[in-house]
Amino acid sequence: MDASEQGRRTAGTEAASGAEIVSAQGVRKQIATGAADAPVLTILDGLCLRICAGESVAIVGASGSGKTTLLSLLAGLDSPSAGDIRLAGASLAALDEDARARLRAGRVGFVFQSFQLLAGLTALENVMLPGELAGLADAEARARRTLGQVGLGERLGHYPHQLSGGEQQRVAIARAFAAEPQVLFADEPTGNLDLVTGGRIAELLFELNRSRGTTLVLVTHDMSLARRCGRVLTLSDGRLHEDA
Amino acid sequence: MKTPEAGRRRAGWGAALRHAVLRLRRGLRSGELRVLALALAVACAAAVSVGLFADRVRQALERGSADALGADALIDARDPLPPALLERLQTLGLRVAQLQQFPSVVAGAGDQVQLATVKAVDPGYPLRGTLSVSAEPYGPAHPAGGIPPPGEAWADTRLWTALGLAPGSVVQLGTRGIRITAAIADEPGRGGAFAELAPELLINRADLASTGLLGPGSRVQYLVQLAGAAPALAAARSLPLPPGMRLHGAADGRPEIESSLTRARQFLDIAVLAAILLAAAAVALSARLHAQRQRDEVALLKCLGASRAFVLRALSLQVLLLGLAAGLAGVLAGAAGQALLGHFLAPLLGTPLPAPGWAPVPAALLLVALLLAGFALPPLFDAADTPPVQVFQRAARPRRGAHLAMAAAAVAVAVLTALQSGQIRLAAYVLAGAAATAAALALAAYALVRALGGVRARGGVAWRFGLGNIARRRGAAVGQIVALGVAGLALLLVTVVRAELLASWRDRLPPQTPNQFLINIQPAQLEPLRQFFAARGYGQLQFWPMARARLVALDGRPVTADSFADQETRRWINREFNLSWTQDFGDDNTLVSGRRWGAGGRGQRWLSADQYAVERLKLKLGDTLTLDFAGRQLTFTVHDTRKVRWDSFRPNFFLVAPPGVLEDIGEVQWITSFYLPAQRRALLRELVRQFPNVTALDLDAALAQVRGMIGRIVAALEFIFAFALAAGLAVMLAVIEGSRAERVRETALLRALGAGSRVILQGLLAEYAVLGLLAGAVAAVAAQLLAWWLAARVFDMPYGPRPLLWLAGAGGGCALVSLVGWLSLRGTLRTPPRQVLAGG
Repeated sequence: MDASEQGRRTAGTEAASGAEIVSAQGVRKQIATGAADAPVLTILDGLCLRICAGESVAIVGASGSGKTTLLSLLAGLDSPSAGDIRLAGASLAALDEDARARLRAGRVGFVFQSFQLLAGLTALENVMLPGELAGLADAEARARRTLGQVGLGERLGHYPHQLSGGEQQRVAIARAFAAEPQVLFADEPTGNLDLVTGGRIAELLFELNRSRGTTLVLVTHDMSLARRCGRVLTLSDGRLHEDA
Repeated sequence: MKTPEAGRRRAGWGAALRHAVLRLRRGLRSGELRVLALALAVACAAAVSVGLFADRVRQALERGSADALGADALIDARDPLPPALLERLQTLGLRVAQLQQFPSVVAGAGDQVQLATVKAVDPGYPLRGTLSVSAEPYGPAHPAGGIPPPGEAWADTRLWTALGLAPGSVVQLGTRGIRITAAIADEPGRGGAFAELAPELLINRADLASTGLLGPGSRVQYLVQLAGAAPALAAARSLPLPPGMRLHGAADGRPEIESSLTRARQFLDIAVLAAILLAAAAVALSARLHAQRQRDEVALLKCLGASRAFVLRALSLQVLLLGLAAGLAGVLAGAAGQALLGHFLAPLLGTPLPAPGWAPVPAALLLVALLLAGFALPPLFDAADTPPVQVFQRAARPRRGAHLAMAAAAVAVAVLTALQSGQIRLAAYVLAGAAATAAALALAAYALVRALGGVRARGGVAWRFGLGNIARRRGAAVGQIVALGVAGLALLLVTVVRAELLASWRDRLPPQTPNQFLINIQPAQLEPLRQFFAARGYGQLQFWPMARARLVALDGRPVTADSFADQETRRWINREFNLSWTQDFGDDNTLVSGRRWGAGGRGQRWLSADQYAVERLKLKLGDTLTLDFAGRQLTFTVHDTRKVRWDSFRPNFFLVAPPGVLEDIGEVQWITSFYLPAQRRALLRELVRQFPNVTALDLDAALAQVRGMIGRIVAALEFIFAFALAAGLAVMLAVIEGSRAERVRETALLRALGAGSRVILQGLLAEYAVLGLLAGAVAAVAAQLLAWWLAARVFDMPYGPRPLLWLAGAGGGCALVSLVGWLSLRGTLRTPPRQVLAGG
């Protein structure tokens, strides 16, 4: 399949059920290596993608295939070398770092492999954070409610170091959903957890995703987790291929 | 055949050095090594500044105590030397030069008058060293080759300035005019002049009589310079001298100057010690961080076949090279610093300082070595023990090195303190004081940091994030507050609090507080002087009689200076006391025990003793003192004790008798004090003309001189405490470095979650502003408590809370710490949000 063909058959068009929320058009990402023989490394090469509101999409691929790079580009954490990415209706190319941050605030949620909780803040304060950054007046009430939903209603004042790995990830999930974002990006959310805890966390993630109708973009190499998503896209050679 | 091992060599020092240099070049990009270097350089610079300066002073003092004395030995007397004694000294083969010196007011061409030390000298003066003069102050100096011819005088720079002199100016000295023909550039005998507050006028002794200044009872000091061979000097030492005369040799030096300089040096040493100990904390923190970051690399090196010895050598060489570079940078900064110290303090010595020697430089490098050995190497030794298996698992392993590190640090602190303060006991006091202060500050800081929990919830996300960081790194936050608080406390004490105490004291003085003392008033001059002042609007001037006596027995037991162990008492007893008599005491005398004698005391041999005399001589009511008034002995009973408020600036006496006892005792002078506004200073000129032997002591000028002297010492202290502050900031930077990686991650995360640059900057500033606020406030409150204690216990004056000082401390700390925090962490604010996924 050449690039133009891929452009026509943009991954996800068939599965589109709502308005487009995330899209990538001809995205290329190259990094300078400094090596004399191969000064530039191409990670993503003219990649196209379209995700509609309410979808759940898994991106899988071998280690080093560029899954995390793609996730960071889609979420506006990084800029592509070429191509256009649109998030929640806005073209990211036109926005500077701060404007992209403002766009994410309240609209985008994250769940990371390594939890990424702020150690200086309590569980409640961590979960309140996205809502506060989005300027939501009821950030605290939402945080309390969501922490209750993930079963940590009694641990509001606890700091991350006082929580187990599974509990920390539950706080991270509560943080991701509390501000009711339009899109949730999850990067190997169970990668740092044992099988049983990972299973429970995945259950929680999909349940909240279903109940709130959030768009989910999940990067993983765990195929059993990927298959729970509506669509599975495989990243190889810098492009996405939709699994049957 | 060679085995594979046969071709191999064990990696030795050369390989370790190559590895160390390579790693150091890369490692310098990391903050912790830069902080380590900064801390070492600051400690080194502080020590070198004071070390080099002290060395110059020592050289100046040693540049012959003989030179400083202007002779091999000096006889100091209140009365002229008996001619027989002079002859005897000459027959011993000694060269003899006589001089007389006394305080007197010298009047310039305009209204300027200045209290000066008049030194009248004989040809041959000085017997040792070279007197050099210049045509005018700071002009090219040349050896004088003699003394001023009759009718001429030479003045020192300060007198030139005070009187606005020009070459050939005529000054009024007593009843005659005298022409100024040169400026004294360097004079043996004024080698170091902390004690000599008044400027000097050098005249020919032949002119002395014509000035009319030498009336009976005038405060003339008779000095005889002696020079000659050691046996002759030894013989002179064994000659019996009349009472009140003392012979000091060159070896005795100038004890008052040496002790002043020793005290100044001790203050500076303590300030340097504060800087060094704070720098040591920064070294320990940054070295520990560096060691932690080396663990992965050590494990990998060992996996690849490096021995523990190789790793240890490479790690040690790395910090030793860094220490050497930082030490040399510190030496350069210290050399510049000592020049500044010389600028502050050299004028107090009244002599040019010799060029600095290099002796303190190796000492400073030794200091760096000690700091490294005590604080930097133990954590690196510990890192060198990292097992190779750590490449697979980062399981925490028991820190065997912790005890070693603590023991090394304790030994290093003890050695540093002893080396720096030079005295074990003083070192122990300083350490105990510093530990107690640090503990008190730490307690206060801990309580404040805990209390932050209450205000955290009341702000926005940035505020909560900033304060959250303080709460999370509570130990580090307390450490930073203590380090900055100690430095801030020291700085506030020598600047704001000192100025405040001085201002409080000055405010206590009523506006008309006397600023002029008249001494040497002869009984016959009392009436003409009253009329002189009455004609000029001073009708109520009170005159006090004054007789001189020597203590010869206490409770019937004969006493001399040697009967007392205490140095101050010995000095006091060695001199003659001034006694006065009165029936009524002023409101500046408070009765402590006994009762006032009133009119009934007339003719009774009683004494009212001031607290100073009570403490020095351990007096109690009913004790008897036998005093010798120029050969006539009288015994007095202690009738009451009182406390004198000396800053009333009215004449007061340690010992006072009732009227009717001492009037006919012999030589009596009178004394008075009055307030002279600046615009009426011409009165002094008339006074000098009409009453040439009466000496006016200008307290304003004396106070200004004392203040100038204190100002210089304080400026030097402030300068050294600035090093302490720099060391405190190095501690802060070390702590910042410890959290840098985490901050980078958190900034990326906050950005990913939608935080803009402003929110992130606000969070950072909130954290450091609050840290600085707490450190400044803790320092200010501690400085206030100390000031209050000093005011109550030492200066005996009221001193209330000063909210402005708290504000200044808190505001200053807030601004400084925010600035340093922002400067060192502004790079992390730009962390791109994609880094939050870097590990995923």
